[in-house]
Amino acid sequence: MADILKKIGNLVAEGDEDEVVKAVHEALNQGIAPLTVLTDGAGKGMDFISEQYNAGEAFLPELVLAGDAMTAVMKIVFESMDAKTAAETKEGTIVIGQAKGYVHDIGKNICSALLAVNGFEVHDLGTDVPVKKFIEEAEAVNADFVMMSTLLTTSLPYLSDTLQYIKDTGHRDKWYFCVGGGPVTPEFAEKIGTNGWSRTAFDCVEMCKKLVKEHKPSDGAFVCVDSEA
Amino acid sequence: MNNYKVQLILHYLDKAFEGPVIPMKEWDTKIIPKTVKGILKKYNLANTVDMENPINQDPELADRFFQAGWELALELGLYCEDTERVIRITEDELLECTRNYPDHLILGDGQDEVVMYPRKPESPIVPLVAASLGIVCSEKNYLPLVQGIVKYNKLVDVLHGPTLATVFGHSIRSGTPYETLMGNYESELKKEALWRAGRPGMACTGVNGAVTEYGHLGGAPAVAGHGNVTQSLLPVELKCTFSNFHRIIQGLNYGHKLRVGGFSYIGGYAGPPEGAALCNIANDLLISVIMQADYVSSYVYDIQLFGNCGRKAVWANSIATQAVSRNTGFMRNKIVNETGGPCTEMFMYEAAVGCMNHCVSGGSKTTQPRSAGGRFTDYITPMEAWWCGDVFKSCAGMTLKDANDIAKKILPKYEKKLGSPDKGLSVNECFDLDNQVPLENYRELYTRVRNELIDIGLPLNMVYGSWYMDRMAVRKDYSIVR
Repeated sequence: MADILKKIGNLVAEGDEDEVVKAVHEALNQGIAPLTVLTDGAGKGMDFISEQYNAGEAFLPELVLAGDAMTAVMKIVFESMDAKTAAETKEGTIVIGQAKGYVHDIGKNICSALLAVNGFEVHDLGTDVPVKKFIEEAEAVNADFVMMSTLLTTSLPYLSDTLQYIKDTGHRDKWYFCVGGGPVTPEFAEKIGTNGWSRTAFDCVEMCKKLVKEHKPSDGAFVCVDSEA
Repeated sequence: MNNYKVQLILHYLDKAFEGPVIPMKEWDTKIIPKTVKGILKKYNLANTVDMENPINQDPELADRFFQAGWELALELGLYCEDTERVIRITEDELLECTRNYPDHLILGDGQDEVVMYPRKPESPIVPLVAASLGIVCSEKNYLPLVQGIVKYNKLVDVLHGPTLATVFGHSIRSGTPYETLMGNYESELKKEALWRAGRPGMACTGVNGAVTEYGHLGGAPAVAGHGNVTQSLLPVELKCTFSNFHRIIQGLNYGHKLRVGGFSYIGGYAGPPEGAALCNIANDLLISVIMQADYVSSYVYDIQLFGNCGRKAVWANSIATQAVSRNTGFMRNKIVNETGGPCTEMFMYEAAVGCMNHCVSGGSKTTQPRSAGGRFTDYITPMEAWWCGDVFKSCAGMTLKDANDIAKKILPKYEKKLGSPDKGLSVNECFDLDNQVPLENYRELYTRVRNELIDIGLPLNMVYGSWYMDRMAVRKDYSIVR
């Protein structure tokens, strides 16, 4: 059992989506519990690649591929669980994108990959995303989070526009709404009524976990994670 | 209008519709990292980052990086996000571009005209300073702030300018009519500020608040003419969009020079500092050919530090700038992304290292400052621009060795704080905009840090020294190799 779990971890870290899918099926066929495959197999791989990235020894492409591999693992694992267990195990579903008008997406890509590596189901809408698209996608995938970022001040109004649109269309209690990016300060994030702000991509993972664990979108909580503070 | 430059741009735009199709994810996660890694290995460049010597001292290494960057540019080309096709260039096209590249560039008009020249590492030619970067400023402060930024003609040559927080009190949403209106408003405010400062002919390098082509469309007519510049920034290294082409075409429509830029990210798709430097070199080459840039604005940025004043980024910018300066006559605008805010020692230290590095490594121009990382509204004063001008111009003629020795003394003063930089003060807390002078708190800090850095060897008495004018004499000390 240890060998196959180790193999799954390594394949996640290497970002080998095709091979990890085969290995996960093999593990499940051996009778290993889905949760064990996730935590003791894939989970070890995601810890490893996260540490490597943090240490400057792995880079964005490796992170993205590991995120893809992790997403593939989660899909199989959750399908093999009963609905209740799957719901309890899942970290959360995230719709993420760059605010309209903004095309520099490298920070968002790091965030997106790290969230996927850490067990979130991530739906990345890319760049220059219109306000309405966030809502449509969140509804389609039954999301827990809507997350937006920007590096430019002229895209900042779209953050509050999106939140206002979510409120005006009666969805505010359904999703955590979190923001980030260069000019987005925690003060701004709190002022416009978001649920969360984080400084770095690693902080973003922690923020999401904290929100899921301790709050509901409807309770109006604001979580700020800043590892540099 | 239908000149050779336009024909070349159309030729490369056609290639955006005819080049090989590659899914973007494959380009990002497989082709870029694999090719960069392979070329670094081929030229024995992996693990060459020298944390003990942040400003490169090895000319042979710089030349090897250039050869590798040349190969990378030819092998990869520039990826067009809109068509998911690659715009490839041939070696003949690249060679033709280097041969036909101008030996100088005139910016501005009349008495405010300045000339930009290609510079080699350690060149005594005094480089140009543009100010400022796109830091947000409130509408009420915009005009006096710009007037202050361009106050001293020995320190600031070209106006880039801060960005407006609002237009007539309304939030500016990019890609909407607010942005189009802002473009014109920004240009008109800049012209007024230049007139008030007595420098009406100073070059303007684009609408800084223009996130999309709409802002340029709104602002370019107000500053039309050959002395001014349009800027177009690629989204990431080795990638472009139609928005980039829109901007350069608009620039040509209004008779502008073209400044096209692209950043390379340490920790991003190119990987380590060596990979980011390599992509930066390839960017310089590809942008010059495909976008027909009159000059390139590219640099290396460290994602984890949200800036480029840490050792890795200083080294990567140093090697990339030297590589292109030593081997071509391309003129480049280099940017330092400081993280410390106005009225902080940290800002002055970061700017000193960054500007000195770019000057001594062969940058022809810098655009500064990025006080407080550009994160906060009104966290910019004229003082940061003046400081950067003072340093960048003073360092002309320094040796790489002296610059490296000084960088090694300054870096320990701020590098531990790069993760949580000093925010500093907003303009109204440390600068008197009515009288265009710093408040006592900033004057004291500025003078103290300036003297401290003169004591450790930064040649800051040069800008206003007697031999300044002698060094303004043009020296065409560059040559095009290959």
